[in-house]
Amino acid sequence: MTQQIILALSSFILALLGTVLLSALSLVVARSGSCSKSFRFETEARALSLLKGWLSPKQRACYERFRYFDVIGSDTGTRYRIHHGTQTNIEELNCTGHHVCKWCFVPDGDLVAGDVMLAQKIALETNERGALAVAHRSFVSSGPRRF
Amino acid sequence: MATQIVMDRTGDTRHTFDVHDRAEVEKAERRFKELTGAGFTAAVRSGPGEQRVIRSFDPTAEETLFYPRLVGG
Repeated sequence: MTQQIILALSSFILALLGTVLLSALSLVVARSGSCSKSFRFETEARALSLLKGWLSPKQRACYERFRYFDVIGSDTGTRYRIHHGTQTNIEELNCTGHHVCKWCFVPDGDLVAGDVMLAQKIALETNERGALAVAHRSFVSSGPRRF
Repeated sequence: MATQIVMDRTGDTRHTFDVHDRAEVEKAERRFKELTGAGFTAAVRSGPGEQRVIRSFDPTAEETLFYPRLVGG
Protein backbone atom coordinates (compact mmCIF):
# COMPACT_ATOMS: atom_id res chain seq x y z
CA MET A 1 0.00 0.00 0.00
CA THR A 2 2.77 2.43 1.01
CA GLN A 3 4.66 1.50 -2.12
CA GLN A 4 1.62 2.35 -4.28
CA ILE A 5 1.26 5.73 -2.59
CA ILE A 6 4.94 6.48 -3.12
CA LEU A 7 4.67 5.40 -6.76
CA ALA A 8 1.60 7.59 -7.32
CA LEU A 9 3.26 10.55 -5.63
CA SER A 10 6.43 10.11 -7.70
CA SER A 11 4.41 9.96 -10.92
CA PHE A 12 2.54 13.11 -9.93
CA ILE A 13 5.75 14.97 -9.11
CA LEU A 14 7.37 13.86 -12.37
CA ALA A 15 4.32 14.98 -14.39
CA LEU A 16 4.33 18.32 -12.59
CA LEU A 17 8.04 18.82 -13.26
CA GLY A 18 7.53 17.94 -16.92
CA THR A 19 4.74 20.48 -17.26
CA VAL A 20 6.82 23.21 -15.60
CA LEU A 21 9.80 22.44 -17.83
CA LEU A 22 7.69 22.44 -20.98
CA SER A 23 6.12 25.79 -20.04
CA ALA A 24 9.54 27.31 -19.39
CA LEU A 25 10.82 25.97 -22.71
CA SER A 26 7.91 27.37 -24.70
CA LEU A 27 8.38 30.73 -22.97
CA VAL A 28 12.05 30.81 -23.99
CA VAL A 29 11.21 29.84 -27.59
CA ALA A 30 8.48 32.50 -27.81
CA ARG A 31 10.84 35.17 -26.45
CA SER A 32 13.65 34.25 -28.83
CA GLY A 33 11.21 34.31 -31.77
CA SER A 34 10.01 37.75 -30.80
CA CYS A 35 13.63 39.01 -30.46
CA SER A 36 14.53 37.60 -33.84
CA LYS A 37 11.45 39.22 -35.39
CA SER A 38 12.35 42.56 -33.87
CA PHE A 39 15.98 42.22 -35.03
CA ARG A 40 14.82 41.44 -38.59
CA PHE A 41 12.48 44.44 -38.54
CA GLU A 42 15.29 46.77 -37.42
CA THR A 43 17.63 45.34 -40.06
CA GLU A 44 15.03 45.85 -42.79
CA ALA A 45 14.43 49.42 -41.64
CA ARG A 46 18.17 50.25 -41.61
CA ALA A 47 18.65 48.83 -45.08
CA LEU A 48 15.64 50.67 -46.51
CA SER A 49 16.86 53.91 -45.01
CA LEU A 50 20.26 53.37 -46.63
CA LEU A 51 18.65 52.53 -49.97
CA LYS A 52 16.48 55.65 -49.96
CA GLY A 53 19.53 57.78 -49.25
CA TRP A 54 21.19 56.50 -52.44
CA LEU A 55 18.16 56.71 -54.74
CA SER A 56 17.56 59.73 -56.95
CA PRO A 57 14.52 61.82 -55.96
CA LYS A 58 12.58 60.29 -58.87
CA GLN A 59 13.54 56.73 -57.98
CA ARG A 60 12.74 57.35 -54.35
CA ALA A 61 9.30 58.79 -55.10
CA CYS A 62 8.55 55.84 -57.39
CA TYR A 63 9.71 53.31 -54.81
CA GLU A 64 7.66 54.90 -52.05
CA ARG A 65 4.55 54.80 -54.21
CA PHE A 66 4.88 51.51 -56.07
CA ARG A 67 7.62 49.56 -54.23
CA TYR A 68 9.78 49.54 -57.35
CA PHE A 69 12.11 51.95 -59.15
CA ASP A 70 13.74 52.04 -62.58
CA VAL A 71 17.41 52.17 -63.43
CA ILE A 72 19.21 52.57 -66.74
CA GLY A 73 21.92 50.06 -67.57
CA SER A 74 25.36 51.67 -67.85
CA ASP A 75 26.43 49.76 -70.96
CA THR A 76 23.32 49.34 -73.13
CA GLY A 77 20.94 52.03 -71.88
CA THR A 78 18.36 49.32 -71.20
CA ARG A 79 15.72 50.10 -68.61
CA TYR A 80 15.37 47.74 -65.65
CA ARG A 81 12.73 47.80 -62.98
CA ILE A 82 13.91 46.78 -59.54
CA HIS A 83 10.99 45.52 -57.48
CA HIS A 84 11.07 45.29 -53.70
CA GLY A 85 12.47 41.86 -52.90
CA THR A 86 15.52 39.69 -52.87
CA GLN A 87 14.94 37.14 -55.62
CA THR A 88 14.19 37.43 -59.34
CA ASN A 89 13.07 40.97 -58.60
CA ILE A 90 14.64 42.70 -61.62
CA GLU A 91 12.55 43.14 -64.70
CA GLU A 92 14.02 44.14 -68.06
CA LEU A 93 11.76 46.44 -70.04
CA ASN A 94 11.85 47.27 -73.72
CA CYS A 95 11.62 50.77 -75.15
CA THR A 96 7.82 50.66 -75.04
CA GLY A 97 7.80 49.63 -71.41
CA HIS A 98 6.89 46.00 -72.03
CA HIS A 99 8.25 43.16 -69.97
CA VAL A 100 11.14 41.39 -71.70
CA CYS A 101 12.47 39.04 -69.04
CA LYS A 102 13.52 38.83 -65.41
CA TRP A 103 17.02 38.83 -64.00
CA CYS A 104 18.28 37.55 -60.71
CA PHE A 105 21.57 38.45 -59.09
CA VAL A 106 22.19 39.34 -55.48
CA PRO A 107 25.08 40.32 -53.25
CA ASP A 108 26.48 37.23 -51.55
CA GLY A 109 25.30 36.61 -47.99
CA ASP A 110 21.93 36.71 -46.34
CA LEU A 111 21.14 40.39 -46.91
CA VAL A 112 17.74 42.02 -46.55
CA ALA A 113 15.73 43.57 -49.38
CA GLY A 114 16.95 47.16 -49.00
CA ASP A 115 20.59 46.14 -49.25
CA VAL A 116 19.95 43.74 -52.12
CA MET A 117 18.09 46.39 -54.13
CA LEU A 118 20.80 48.99 -53.51
CA ALA A 119 23.56 46.63 -54.67
CA GLN A 120 21.48 45.79 -57.75
CA LYS A 121 20.95 49.48 -58.55
CA ILE A 122 24.65 50.34 -58.24
CA ALA A 123 25.70 47.28 -60.23
CA LEU A 124 23.32 47.96 -63.13
CA GLU A 125 24.09 51.69 -63.21
CA THR A 126 27.87 51.27 -63.09
CA ASN A 127 28.68 47.82 -64.48
CA GLU A 128 25.64 46.43 -66.26
CA ARG A 129 27.51 43.78 -68.24
CA GLY A 130 29.42 42.56 -65.19
CA ALA A 131 26.20 42.25 -63.19
CA LEU A 132 24.32 40.41 -65.93
CA ALA A 133 27.26 38.09 -66.50
CA VAL A 134 26.62 36.45 -63.13
CA ALA A 135 22.83 36.80 -63.24
CA HIS A 136 20.22 34.18 -64.00
CA ARG A 137 17.73 35.13 -66.69
CA SER A 138 14.13 33.99 -66.63
CA PHE A 139 11.51 34.35 -69.33
CA VAL A 140 8.66 33.24 -67.11
CA SER A 141 6.13 36.03 -66.92
CA SER A 142 2.82 36.39 -65.16
CA GLY A 143 1.36 37.64 -68.45
CA PRO A 144 1.68 40.67 -70.69
CA ARG A 145 2.44 43.77 -68.65
CA ARG A 146 2.85 47.37 -69.65
CA PHE A 147 4.43 49.97 -67.42
CA MET B 1 34.49 62.79 -40.56
CA ALA B 2 34.09 60.16 -43.27
CA THR B 3 32.14 56.91 -43.14
CA GLN B 4 32.67 53.47 -44.56
CA ILE B 5 29.40 51.54 -44.76
CA VAL B 6 29.68 47.79 -45.06
CA MET B 7 26.55 45.82 -45.96
CA ASP B 8 26.04 42.80 -43.75
CA ARG B 9 23.35 40.71 -42.08
CA THR B 10 22.55 43.52 -39.64
CA GLY B 11 21.76 45.85 -42.55
CA ASP B 12 25.14 47.53 -42.43
CA THR B 13 28.06 48.29 -40.18
CA ARG B 14 29.47 51.81 -40.18
CA HIS B 15 33.06 52.83 -39.54
CA THR B 16 33.69 56.54 -39.16
CA PHE B 17 37.13 58.09 -39.28
CA ASP B 18 38.65 61.53 -39.03
CA VAL B 19 40.14 62.43 -42.41
CA HIS B 20 42.70 64.63 -40.63
CA ASP B 21 43.95 61.81 -38.41
CA ARG B 22 46.69 59.93 -40.22
CA ALA B 23 46.36 56.75 -38.14
CA GLU B 24 42.61 56.59 -38.70
CA VAL B 25 42.99 57.18 -42.42
CA GLU B 26 45.56 54.37 -42.62
CA LYS B 27 43.20 52.07 -40.76
CA ALA B 28 40.37 53.00 -43.15
CA GLU B 29 42.65 52.32 -46.12
CA ARG B 30 43.54 48.90 -44.70
CA ARG B 31 39.84 48.16 -44.28
CA PHE B 32 39.22 49.24 -47.87
CA LYS B 33 41.92 46.89 -49.15
CA GLU B 34 40.70 43.98 -47.02
CA LEU B 35 37.11 44.37 -48.16
CA THR B 36 37.81 44.87 -51.86
CA GLY B 37 40.33 42.01 -51.66
CA ALA B 38 37.56 39.82 -50.28
CA GLY B 39 35.35 40.63 -53.26
CA PHE B 40 33.39 43.61 -51.98
CA THR B 41 32.62 46.44 -54.41
CA ALA B 42 33.23 49.97 -53.15
CA ALA B 43 31.04 52.83 -54.38
CA VAL B 44 30.84 56.52 -53.61
CA ARG B 45 28.07 58.95 -54.36
CA SER B 46 28.76 61.34 -57.19
CA GLY B 47 25.43 63.16 -57.22
CA PRO B 48 21.80 62.68 -56.20
CA GLY B 49 21.03 59.07 -57.07
CA GLU B 50 24.35 58.74 -58.89
CA GLN B 51 27.40 56.81 -57.86
CA ARG B 52 30.71 55.57 -59.12
CA VAL B 53 32.65 52.46 -58.29
CA ILE B 54 36.14 53.06 -56.93
CA ARG B 55 39.05 50.63 -57.17
CA SER B 56 41.40 52.45 -54.83
CA PHE B 57 40.90 54.12 -51.46
CA ASP B 58 39.62 57.68 -51.65
CA PRO B 59 40.26 59.46 -48.33
CA THR B 60 38.25 62.47 -49.47
CA ALA B 61 35.05 60.47 -50.00
CA GLU B 62 32.50 61.43 -47.39
CA GLU B 63 30.75 58.09 -47.64
CA THR B 64 31.97 54.83 -49.16
CA LEU B 65 29.58 51.91 -49.49
CA PHE B 66 30.76 48.31 -49.71
CA TYR B 67 28.56 45.50 -50.95
CA PRO B 68 29.52 41.83 -51.22
CA ARG B 69 30.38 40.02 -54.45
CA LEU B 70 27.39 39.50 -56.74
CA VAL B 71 26.13 36.01 -57.42
CA GLY B 72 23.34 34.64 -59.58
CA GLY B 73 20.18 34.30 -57.53
